[in-house]
Amino acid sequence: MMEDVAVAPARILLVDDEESLRITLAANLELEGHTVLEAANGEEALRLLEQQPVDVVLTDIRMPGLHGVELLRRIKQERPDMPVVLMTAFTAEELVDDALAEGAFTVLPKPFDVTHALDTVLRAARAPQVLVVDDTEQVARGMVRALSTVGLRARAVYSGEEALASLRSGEYDVCVLDLVMPEMSGPELVSKVRAANLSVAIIAVSGHVVPEMLRRVAAQGAVVCMTKPVPLRELVQAIARVRGRPQQGLQGARI
Amino acid sequence: MSAVQDGGVPGPPVALKERAARLFQEHLFAVRGRTDRLFAGLMLGQWAVGILIAVAGPSRGGNVLAALVVGTLLSACPVAMARWRPGAPLTRHVVAVCQALWSSLLIFLTDGRVETHFHIFGSLAFLALYRDPWVLLTASVTTTVDHVLRGTIGAQSFYGGPPPELWRFVEHAFWVAFIDVVLVYSCRGMLRELREVAVRRAELELAREREQAKARELDHALRELSGFQEHLIRVEKLAAVGQLAASVGHELRNPLAAVRNSHAYLSRKLTKDPAGAVDDPRVPQFLGLMERELNACAKIISDLLDFARERPPALQPCPLRPLVDEAIGVVPPRDGVRVINGVPESLPVPNLDKEQFRQVLVNLVQNAVEAMPVGRNGEVAVMAEGGESMPWRIRVVDDGAGIPADVLPKIFEPLFTTKTRGTGLGLAIVANMVQRHGGTISVSSEAERGSEFLIVLPAAAAAQAA
Repeated sequence: MMEDVAVAPARILLVDDEESLRITLAANLELEGHTVLEAANGEEALRLLEQQPVDVVLTDIRMPGLHGVELLRRIKQERPDMPVVLMTAFTAEELVDDALAEGAFTVLPKPFDVTHALDTVLRAARAPQVLVVDDTEQVARGMVRALSTVGLRARAVYSGEEALASLRSGEYDVCVLDLVMPEMSGPELVSKVRAANLSVAIIAVSGHVVPEMLRRVAAQGAVVCMTKPVPLRELVQAIARVRGRPQQGLQGARI
Repeated sequence: MSAVQDGGVPGPPVALKERAARLFQEHLFAVRGRTDRLFAGLMLGQWAVGILIAVAGPSRGGNVLAALVVGTLLSACPVAMARWRPGAPLTRHVVAVCQALWSSLLIFLTDGRVETHFHIFGSLAFLALYRDPWVLLTASVTTTVDHVLRGTIGAQSFYGGPPPELWRFVEHAFWVAFIDVVLVYSCRGMLRELREVAVRRAELELAREREQAKARELDHALRELSGFQEHLIRVEKLAAVGQLAASVGHELRNPLAAVRNSHAYLSRKLTKDPAGAVDDPRVPQFLGLMERELNACAKIISDLLDFARERPPALQPCPLRPLVDEAIGVVPPRDGVRVINGVPESLPVPNLDKEQFRQVLVNLVQNAVEAMPVGRNGEVAVMAEGGESMPWRIRVVDDGAGIPADVLPKIFEPLFTTKTRGTGLGLAIVANMVQRHGGTISVSSEAERGSEFLIVLPAAAAAQAA
């Protein structure tokens, strides 16, 4: 069922001032059956966005004129739901942290593996949501509200059972999980998610330090652990970072 | 004083006093040891003289035996003391007693001749060499006791007649006391002088030691400084390497990403749709793009190697005009920009490292071509003059936009660039190579009028080929 979603053609706006990079990436995207709109700078990208429907924006950060992060901000003002993936050749870019905190889907470091880039862009195009799991309803709802302020779509559930059912729908790619819950605990949920081979990145959050639990979830791989209270900026950055990682589940199914 | 030592830093006056006292004691000990040895010699002499007088002198009979026994005793004691305990207080007091008794013995042997009594004064003067008033006291007391005993028991042998009247004894005593006072006075004077000399020597020594300590400290500081400098140079080198790596890394990323994308496209296309690949215009386009970007990567790497490699130039006769032609041929042409080889055919042949100098010319010409504003015709010219014992002057002149004044001083620094793509190594390499040829490079520029790079090679370094 996910395969169908993955190959659904998307309309991608590709923004890069480096022509050779832009045309080769565009060719790869088109080869997969997607429609690619090319822009050589930020201004041109904004113009194209107004004129044509676009599912996802893929933009370089360092460009003359309107740079990638500024472009991201403009897009988020107009259309908070529009997924934006950034690319950069500079690993230590101050702009990267800002971009991650301001609602970029993720940042791809150049040069990237084309398959991984395609996979990331398509996941972004599906506009997946963040699932917040916390038995304290207020906390969960508060977090969902906070995430929506930077344009991240999220939903709150209050038990492990509910979470598992939601994750099976395939609408979520990141799960922010409170480790300490009655009935199904965090580590139990993680092992069930892994057993079902669901392609979900898990960010484990705990109110107090529970090393035993952290060890148990960490042992199951691909988990980010954070301690409450988690600042919004850091949570948003963590979500964007896990979204940039290769997704074993999906990739394994496709290749 | 203990408080000062507890504080860890003994004050300079204390150190000076202590050292002066030590020097004084050392000096005094040496003087007294020397005097001990002098007396040892004197004792042996007196012994010989005593025997001579006993044999040939006025007294007879048991005198010879007495002189032999008593004289041997009086001489042997001080000689042994001087031999085994030189400089010790006991030694000089033994010497004083024995010397006084020697006077007495000699007077006895000469039957109390008045002239022999002078031996007492001579002895006291000699004892004053010890610079010790107490020694004079010992000798004087010994003499007095001896006078009193002998004056009452054996007056004949002492005064050369019957026991004298009291006033004569007092007169004798007066003269001894008088010479004692004079000698004590002179002893104290000598001791004072010795102390002063010791203080001055101590001052001198301390000053010298302070100087030496300062010199050592300075040495140490210098060594530390040079170590620190080396460390700094290493750190700077590392920083430069890091900067270079970062710059080169960033520069390589874009062309590599483009090559990677092209390769991904080509391999996917060939897998998915091999038949369609033949007609796909993107296939040749991307193959060309890959070649171009790979060349760009290769250029960046070779720039870096040129910059890093410190190869000394291999000079050989190298005609300049054909070399300029070669260089111009390497630079990618641009529409509207003409590159002219203005080097005269008749120019004498300089000695150059052909590879390196071609690189210099290529970099300069390429910069000039790229500096031309888009959409405007321009001209780049390479000129040369000199030879025949004159310095060589090679100029690369363009009529482009010129170089802004704030940029001009930095253009030969490595990693400085104004281009959107470039490592900032080109002109640094040029400057480096020209320097290794023993030459200099300078630049002048005027906004909107163009720039001129001038290379001057000394006539001697790039000597004209025979």
